[in-house]
Amino acid sequence: MREANAPVFRRAVIALSGGSIDNTIVRLALEVSRQSHCEIVGVHVVELDWTQPLDADVAERSEEAQRVLDAAEGLVEAAHGRMESVLVQARDVGAAIVDEAAARNADLLILGLPYRTRFGGDFAIGRAVPYALKNAPCAVWVVREPMGEEPQ
Amino acid sequence: MFVIVVGGGKVGYFLARELIGSGHEVALMERDRLRASQITEEIGSIVIAHDGCEGKYLGQAGANRADIVAAVTGDDEDNLVICQMAKHHFDVPRTIARVNNPKNESLFKHLGVDEIVSPTRMILGSIEADIPVHELLHLAVLGGGELELIEAQLRAGSPATGQLAGALELPDGCSIFAIIREERALSVRSDTELREGDKIIGIGRTECEGELHKILLGEDAANFE
Repeated sequence: MREANAPVFRRAVIALSGGSIDNTIVRLALEVSRQSHCEIVGVHVVELDWTQPLDADVAERSEEAQRVLDAAEGLVEAAHGRMESVLVQARDVGAAIVDEAAARNADLLILGLPYRTRFGGDFAIGRAVPYALKNAPCAVWVVREPMGEEPQ
Repeated sequence: MFVIVVGGGKVGYFLARELIGSGHEVALMERDRLRASQITEEIGSIVIAHDGCEGKYLGQAGANRADIVAAVTGDDEDNLVICQMAKHHFDVPRTIARVNNPKNESLFKHLGVDEIVSPTRMILGSIEADIPVHELLHLAVLGGGELELIEAQLRAGSPATGQLAGALELPDGCSIFAIIREERALSVRSDTELREGDKIIGIGRTECEGELHKILLGEDAANFE
């Protein structure tokens, strides 16, 4: 049953990076789906440098990408949920995720953000999250890892 | 086609935008990070914020698979270096350089740049076309800079005035092929009589410009050499 005042979404895109934060955002998406019966689309972006064309066969990297999607699908299945998995090759992760969310008419985009610091200790937010916050046409939820979970 | 545009000034920006609009894959290199970020905001993530003069970064931009490298920075030396590196280090099939100083055109040609574009010469040609000077006007550079399309307007005292086109002893590799007379274009035959006021359109090797000038317009006006 839907909680009172809970936002209702039809389609949520989740950006899967392959990090430990993926577990959290998948569970969050499942919770949203349970409450508002929205579809979940899991997107993993393989970033290609300019030395390769966008349609290059990056089989080796795609195996790693498949592992990322499989892990997310495993969580969804265990929770008896459903998720469509999408693998995208792009030059820029942020732009690719936002484009995918827009193309699929998603009304929610969920991104995970590892807690990382630059040399000197300043928090590093990366490029994808600011890009999504600025450019995504839908609602954007960012889930940041707790401090201190940065791999040593 | 995959095109690398080096230089994110006005020329590079609009060139990249037009190419993307035509469905080409484009990577734009701009060393100024602020400018690079502005362009990214406007046309998307096609910008590499590095100096295209450095081989390492040109390689990162995908020069190994580029069909064309267009160097359009405001600096002739940079454009030359970029094109040479693209051509000789990455085997890019076609290099295009913007040449700001027309005096550098022949140097670019000799050093293997496939195509040169000189905005200065283009504007000069346009200005010359609008001013009734009695010189050879440069309408276009052809054949990668070796040939020029020229226009000469005959005066009453010009050596070619009153002569038959076939009687002109044009330098080797030069020819005249059209006349603009009273706003009409006429093709030139050997028995075509050249008249005062005719605009002669011809094509010739760049180094023959002086001789062509002498034959069509006379010695006096050829002092430009």
